[in-house]
Amino acid sequence: MFNAVSHFFSQLFASYSPEAYEINNLFLDYLVLAGIIVALVTGLVIVGAIRFRSKKRPEEPPQIFGNKKLEITWTLIPFLILVFFFVLTLRAMIEINTPVGNDPKPDIIIIAHQWWWDMRYPGYKIITANELHIPVGKKLLMAVKSADVIHDWWVPDLGRKIDAIPGRTNYTWIEADSAGTYLGTCAEFCGAEHAWMRIKVIAQTPYEFNQWVNNQKQIPSQPNDSTAILGQMLFQKETCGDCHAIAGTPANAHVGPDLTHIASRTTILSGRLTNTRENLMSWLANPQKVKPGAHMPDFRFNKNQLNELVTYLEGLK
Amino acid sequence: MSFAFQIPESIEPIPKLRSKNGLLQWISTVDHKLIGIMYLWTSLIFLVIGFGEAMLMRIQLMRPENTVLSPQAYNQIFTMHGTTMIFLVLTPILIGFATYLLPLMIGANDMAYPRLNAFSFWMFFFGGLLLYLSFFAGGAPNVGWFSYAPLSEKFYSSSPGVNYWAISILLMGIGTIGSALNFVVTTLTMRAEGLSLSKLPLFVWMVFVNGFLILAAFPVLNAGLVMILIDRLLNAHFFTTATGGSALMWQHVFWTFGHPEVYILALPAFGMISEVIPVFSRKPIFGYEFVAASTVAIALLAFGVWAHHMFAVGLGTTFNAFFAATSMLIAVPTGVKIFNWCATMWGGSIMFKTSMLFAMAFLIDFTIGGLSGVGFAMVPIDWRLTDTYFVVAHIHYVFVGGALSAAFAGFYYWFPKMSGKMLSEKLGKLQFWLFFIGFNCTFFVFHLLGLLGMPRRVFTYPNLPYWGSLNMFSTIGAMVLGLSFVVLIWNIFYTIKHGEPAGNNPWNAWTLEWLSASPPKPKNFEKVPLIRSRRPLWDLNHPDNPDWKPELKPEASDE
Amino acid sequence: MNKNKILMFLFIGSEAFFFIALIISYVYYSRVGGSLSASAKYLDYKKTSIFTLFLILSSLSIELSGRSLKKGNRKLMLGWLLTTILFGAVFLFGQGSEYARLISLNVTISKNVFGSAFFTLTGFHGLHVFIGLVVLSLMAGLFYSGKFKKIEAGFFESASLYWHFVDAVWIVVFSVIYLGPIL
Repeated sequence: MFNAVSHFFSQLFASYSPEAYEINNLFLDYLVLAGIIVALVTGLVIVGAIRFRSKKRPEEPPQIFGNKKLEITWTLIPFLILVFFFVLTLRAMIEINTPVGNDPKPDIIIIAHQWWWDMRYPGYKIITANELHIPVGKKLLMAVKSADVIHDWWVPDLGRKIDAIPGRTNYTWIEADSAGTYLGTCAEFCGAEHAWMRIKVIAQTPYEFNQWVNNQKQIPSQPNDSTAILGQMLFQKETCGDCHAIAGTPANAHVGPDLTHIASRTTILSGRLTNTRENLMSWLANPQKVKPGAHMPDFRFNKNQLNELVTYLEGLK
Repeated sequence: MSFAFQIPESIEPIPKLRSKNGLLQWISTVDHKLIGIMYLWTSLIFLVIGFGEAMLMRIQLMRPENTVLSPQAYNQIFTMHGTTMIFLVLTPILIGFATYLLPLMIGANDMAYPRLNAFSFWMFFFGGLLLYLSFFAGGAPNVGWFSYAPLSEKFYSSSPGVNYWAISILLMGIGTIGSALNFVVTTLTMRAEGLSLSKLPLFVWMVFVNGFLILAAFPVLNAGLVMILIDRLLNAHFFTTATGGSALMWQHVFWTFGHPEVYILALPAFGMISEVIPVFSRKPIFGYEFVAASTVAIALLAFGVWAHHMFAVGLGTTFNAFFAATSMLIAVPTGVKIFNWCATMWGGSIMFKTSMLFAMAFLIDFTIGGLSGVGFAMVPIDWRLTDTYFVVAHIHYVFVGGALSAAFAGFYYWFPKMSGKMLSEKLGKLQFWLFFIGFNCTFFVFHLLGLLGMPRRVFTYPNLPYWGSLNMFSTIGAMVLGLSFVVLIWNIFYTIKHGEPAGNNPWNAWTLEWLSASPPKPKNFEKVPLIRSRRPLWDLNHPDNPDWKPELKPEASDE
Repeated sequence: MNKNKILMFLFIGSEAFFFIALIISYVYYSRVGGSLSASAKYLDYKKTSIFTLFLILSSLSIELSGRSLKKGNRKLMLGWLLTTILFGAVFLFGQGSEYARLISLNVTISKNVFGSAFFTLTGFHGLHVFIGLVVLSLMAGLFYSGKFKKIEAGFFESASLYWHFVDAVWIVVFSVIYLGPIL
């Protein structure tokens, strides 16, 4: 039982990046102080209530009006403690907020939309969505923007949260100490589907990351399967390219997520569903049922069309 | 032409609704006591509605990926829950008590401006009604109780909800400003003879200082509200980022109001605690001067901390550091009051009446809430925990565990004065335990959920470890909390029918309101004695040992 | 101090915060929004200065009215009061004609941030002037018709205080909007 609890708490404060480490350290330091104060006040109230309950006391106890020395002391001591914590705070802020300089060259550009994340790597000329791959152990600069309302980029294991504000570019650093998958989410209420604007960060070894980059750089080959070919034709005919982009085809809009390598992603709809054939079909069949409020129109595809489209999309690895 | 219809003079303290002209007397009253009671009844109704909204949210959230409420419905409900609880429950409860008690506690027979007083109530009342009309007029506001732009702009929020939100808050705000004007002018000009400002009961002092806070903060809110309305209704560009507007301007303007607002809600609650704890500990407040002075410090600092709501916006280290410093600083005057209240209990003769139980719960829960707040002042902690369930925990600990507990303490304390009847202590204690247990079970786990990564304002969440079980636990806690409100309402109606007569001063308290009858006659006081100390009734009952002869007091111990 | 005067001080203090918020936002929008040039381009400085003068003179005339009231000179008090109302109305008329001219040039509240900020700030000021004129007119009317044997000094002082406030706000607003870009 104690093991379970301590495991739970160690998980809560596990740090997977230098920034997260600073934050968690500061929090734990403060938790100790807060715990002491809560225990102190609770103790004073309960002990005081019991010790001085009216049954055991004179009806009119000594009428004490105050004690200036005591009051000054209990004002000064908290003040000094807070000064100490302010210094700790300042230190942590400076550690986390490494300056970006006058002409920042971001490694990653995040553009937040209602309700998905556009992710670009200007250096590699890759565009993807919702699932960010990064190499382990490298401190990367992220530019965070918004295409519509205020959102907030937040991956707790990897550091601070930062708002994505229309009309403004914010910068933050992202770095993972060890390989793994880190979950995050939008943390500023942004409308109907704020709850399903989730983030996945996949930190990989340099080798695996390079593999991923090379794959993303590839233009998908033309489909072989007849169903998939029909799907591709449907994609172009049904104006999907007015919102989505698939490299190597005329579709080049970024109103909605880039679909060039959609089959390589583990989830769809910004973490709403796992990336399976069934789920893709249910989404295309009735978007409002799956993610009500989403800006994706309902094309009223029939069963055949759904089959063709999904077969095509599945080939976009 | 003469207007022959005459509104009858009020001869009974509380007109019965069923009696001839009863309803008319209530609607047309300018008597601060009846207006105060109307505030309290209205806020009770909105408490039930606001809690209903909360219960709907808790039911939707008790399981991952639950489908009880659609996101569109949920977003209206959480917005209305927040707006209701702040503007239609907490504000009117505190203003209602202040309206009722202020004149009585300073020995006056009414407020300085009785008609302004009535006007203020009806502005609040109709503002609240207008807000709820939105449900039937195309949709309630659905962008959160602080409506960040540009989400709140017409382009992203096409339903009229935000218009209703802005206009109704404008109306209610005008009412609140009217009340504040009355509080300040009444306190300055209508005190009984001998009652200098330094002898004011702490509740009056807090309400008085609060008046200034309201007068400074609400107009800033009004400026923001007119800007968003002009954007939405006249196609202006204040916050439309696509056409040159500034999303951040909204945040700055709103929080310049928003932060003082939370102190506006806290100070009267502190005042109530400062009245209740001394009486049920049978000794005076420990350190009156410090408590009063720290109140002024809070009011002044309140305008210097607003950007701690914006630490995630990315405004830079210098900017953030300044607001971190001021926000940590303001914790000092707020926090040391807790020690004053504990020291008041210490060495006393504690009576465990329901009122006192709520006051003691306040001390513990408000401390927890206040400490989570100071945590947020430490910017990197904010960077992890803002906009998560941790902040939802914080706000509910200070608003519910703090201000609402204090309001219940004040309610059990002053209900006998207002109605002439004693509330049932048995039912009161049942309510208290259901409330204390229910509240802490509902909201403590939110700290953990925030640490686990659950953001706020989500209509559902994925099935991540512990998220489901903690949410379920919270929902069960909320049901217990709901039961406590049922007991409260039962207690009120039971007491109105069968309550024991209270007498003038059932608690043997020491401030002037206990001199009047219970309930007070329409004219509060025929004659008020000369005031010579902070506890006039103690002086009256202890002619050989009055407070104004300090040489007769024991030395303050160092305990 | 008379309770009505305290009330009025508190009320105008409160309204001051409202205007400060709108003024700060105007300054932000005109500097960051880049519409300093817009104000120089579209606003009629000369005409507005003249109307400003009338508003300032109206503060003077209400002071003279107050002094006459204290001395008990009913006729003069009413005369100066009516002058105040007249000058205030001239100001509002001038404001209105400026609005009409701007709108004819397609500079509206919805044109850009400058339009939004300009019309909102000056509009709310104008609203406060209008309310002041209503109060002063009511006061004059009641006094003229003999309903009040004498106007309670507190009432007159409060109304006068409000009028001075409205004038002071305009001086700040005028400086920020019209003089700001020039200086």
